[in-house]
Amino acid sequence: MRHRKRKSGILLVTQLPLKGTGGLSPQIVSGTRKGRKKGFWHELVHNRVLFLMLLPTLLFFLVNSYFPMVGVYYAFTQFDFNSGLFNAPFVGLKNFEFLWRSGTLVKLTLNTIGYNLAFILLGNVLAIVCAILLSELRVKWFKKLTQSVMFLPYFVSFVILSVIVYNVFNYDNGFLNTLLSQFGANPVDVYNNPVIWILLIILFYLWKNLGYSMVIYLASITGISEEYYEAAKIDGAHIFQRIWYITVPMLKSTFVMLLLFSLGSIMKGQFDLFYQLIGNNGVLYNTTDILDTYVFRSLKVTFDVGMATAAGLYQSLFGFFLIMTVNYIIRKINDDYALF
Amino acid sequence: MRKKAGRKSLVTLTTGVLALSLLAGCGGGNSNGSTGSTGTDSNPGTAAATQGAAATGADTGIDTSKKVELQFYMLGDAPKDLPAIQAEINKMAQEELNATVKFNYTSWTDWDQKYKLLLSSGQAIDLIFTADWTQYQSYAKRGAFLALDDLLPKAAPELQQFVPAPMWEDVKVDGKIYTVPATFKEYVTNGFVYREDLRKKYNLPEPKDLASYEAYMDGIAKNEPDMMTMSLNSDVGNNLHYIYTELHKMIGALPYGMGVKYDSPTTVYSYWGSDEQKEELQMMKRWADKGFIPKNVLNIKDTMQDPVTSGKAASMFGDNPNRFNDMKMKISTTHPDWELAYSPFGLTTGYATPVHPIHNGFAIPKSSKNPERALAFYQKMVLDKRYNQLTQYGIEGKNYTVEDGYYKLVGTSTSNGFTREGMNGWAWRNPEFMLLDKGFDGVKAIFDELDKIQKPDLFLGFAEDYTSYQAEKAALEQVEKQYLFPLEAGLVDDVDKGLETFMQKAKQAGLEKIQTEWTKQWEAYVK
Repeated sequence: MRHRKRKSGILLVTQLPLKGTGGLSPQIVSGTRKGRKKGFWHELVHNRVLFLMLLPTLLFFLVNSYFPMVGVYYAFTQFDFNSGLFNAPFVGLKNFEFLWRSGTLVKLTLNTIGYNLAFILLGNVLAIVCAILLSELRVKWFKKLTQSVMFLPYFVSFVILSVIVYNVFNYDNGFLNTLLSQFGANPVDVYNNPVIWILLIILFYLWKNLGYSMVIYLASITGISEEYYEAAKIDGAHIFQRIWYITVPMLKSTFVMLLLFSLGSIMKGQFDLFYQLIGNNGVLYNTTDILDTYVFRSLKVTFDVGMATAAGLYQSLFGFFLIMTVNYIIRKINDDYALF
Repeated sequence: MRKKAGRKSLVTLTTGVLALSLLAGCGGGNSNGSTGSTGTDSNPGTAAATQGAAATGADTGIDTSKKVELQFYMLGDAPKDLPAIQAEINKMAQEELNATVKFNYTSWTDWDQKYKLLLSSGQAIDLIFTADWTQYQSYAKRGAFLALDDLLPKAAPELQQFVPAPMWEDVKVDGKIYTVPATFKEYVTNGFVYREDLRKKYNLPEPKDLASYEAYMDGIAKNEPDMMTMSLNSDVGNNLHYIYTELHKMIGALPYGMGVKYDSPTTVYSYWGSDEQKEELQMMKRWADKGFIPKNVLNIKDTMQDPVTSGKAASMFGDNPNRFNDMKMKISTTHPDWELAYSPFGLTTGYATPVHPIHNGFAIPKSSKNPERALAFYQKMVLDKRYNQLTQYGIEGKNYTVEDGYYKLVGTSTSNGFTREGMNGWAWRNPEFMLLDKGFDGVKAIFDELDKIQKPDLFLGFAEDYTSYQAEKAALEQVEKQYLFPLEAGLVDDVDKGLETFMQKAKQAGLEKIQTEWTKQWEAYVK
């Protein structure tokens, strides 16, 4: 019983900043579910100070997220230098046509989702493992050092990463092939091998982001009360049991929350990563092309606001349905974990 | 216990903040779309307003009562000494036009995309560079620029006189002038660029056509195994394919695999899928197998010229006489023992086309708030010797000196903050004020040679209108990049099969529709 209460406590605080987007019902803030019966206005008057505090956040999201949505109309118009947004001729779904024209939409969507699933699942699992390992470390300086070293790649820009990768893998004088030829092995033609890049891209993503997501889990672990561990110790649980039966379940809510957040943007690939590493190399597109890079390349040549917006809209809608579905499923399984 | 509780809430707060920052990171991209609307909306209004204001002034000249700052946009990288030049220019412009100017540069990285954004975002720009390779014709057709026909007599009457009438005629799109063309006659046709000192050292043939060029590269590959035989980067379309077709007398850099030969401009055929193309791809395959084309060519991001001037590459498949001269000058200061030579394609193909007036120009975008002042200022840039030489060569004494009527750089290209035409001022060159480099005599000689075989450019006046097949065009460009570029770089083992896949994908993207439409428009233009 005590266990359950604490958990929802975490959930409540962590979700507060989300109010603007999530549409979290104000009842949770007021702490009672009675408010619903008395109606919205009563609620508004009753908690006016709280609502006032909410106002800046609400405004922030209105200005930055909701007003720009008007631009969605671009997706259905033919861009024209002479007329503004609402005078541009309406063309219906014509702007979406280029997405499926070449028959690559399915491949792109699958690639995008596939990579993101790998990023999300592998990223989170590895982050949890590393966070647990780090939290069990007792030597303070070593712990700090490891954490910093893991966090550092997060600050390496993708442009620099692409240069590093190029110098490691280029065929003629890259680090890898020079090394291989030292040992008398045959050089590897990495830049013409689409399959290798699936692994490479996931690897570099993890290398870059592991430290960051680990910190979030590390924070949650530090938040777990020592009492549990003490009690478990007295009961004779060894370290793996303590991790498996206390730490891991306690991280579940953080995991679910991060999962839902990342699912919302599953259609938005890590553009920088893909664009910088792959760039113009068409040989690799079958396995490495995601929606973002495809759209960017198409519209780089024929810059058309209408088609760009259409592609963005497709991505957003897909992400929206995805997060609604996943959230629905989670709510069915366990109401407490759902975002809304 | 209490201490622990405090830490706990801090921890949860941190988690929350981190989570929020994740979310904020995701949301960033959404706001792109709306910015353009307000900008473009307000333009017609301001344009009309300035026109009204001017009308109240005298018939000749323009209203300069209000001080303005002009936004000037050029492609490429700004020279180091630009601030000093800009200050000098502004001193004069302030006095004479009551205007100051800000020279902005896009840098060469992703310039095409920046250029598109500049024009479509509605940002206020007063002067922007135009060229065939920045798609002047299609932007003009779609209304990105202001028509200059009425502005010219009022704001820049001398400039209107200065540029010959046939040139004004040539740059017209749908009957209107949208850009001020450059009057300097030059050739930007390509030619082989190669290291003459290496050629002599190993007794290799002079590259004159494809066969001798290949023989030259064979020799380099054998004798200088660590050198790149030819400079290349990921833009294989422009640096291999279009140069190959230029050698085969194609009328210009034709899109969508169209084929039109210079000798028979009315015959249009599909180059893609033809035996002619197969021959090209097989040749490239052979070049790749011989190691002329690096295996990771599609990931090389260098410029084409840098590897040549730094000695990493021994040749270039094709470049124009001017750029060749720049490279030669650079090398003459950094590595005087090297020698760079040039062999124009005109000698192989039998004709050369001088630049079309569209090739270099400056336009006033729709978003300009001060079109008249901008045009008046541009007139100064071209016709006022002080403005012109300052922006072309820098400050006399500091950046350059004049010796026997020739231009001479002070110091070296790396130590000097403003090299010759450091502002990329190709468009406002004025033949009367031009200071030529001694090395340019070589280019002059090339030009004179090409003059003998000159024929007019037939292609550039053609303004394609792709609104009816925009979706197909966007899709096709992707297919090209994915399936054709690797073929054109000789990276695909089975050329026939690769070409088949490409053709099938291209057809799926709507190749036939595009080609029919294009042919229709082309035929209307040729007639």
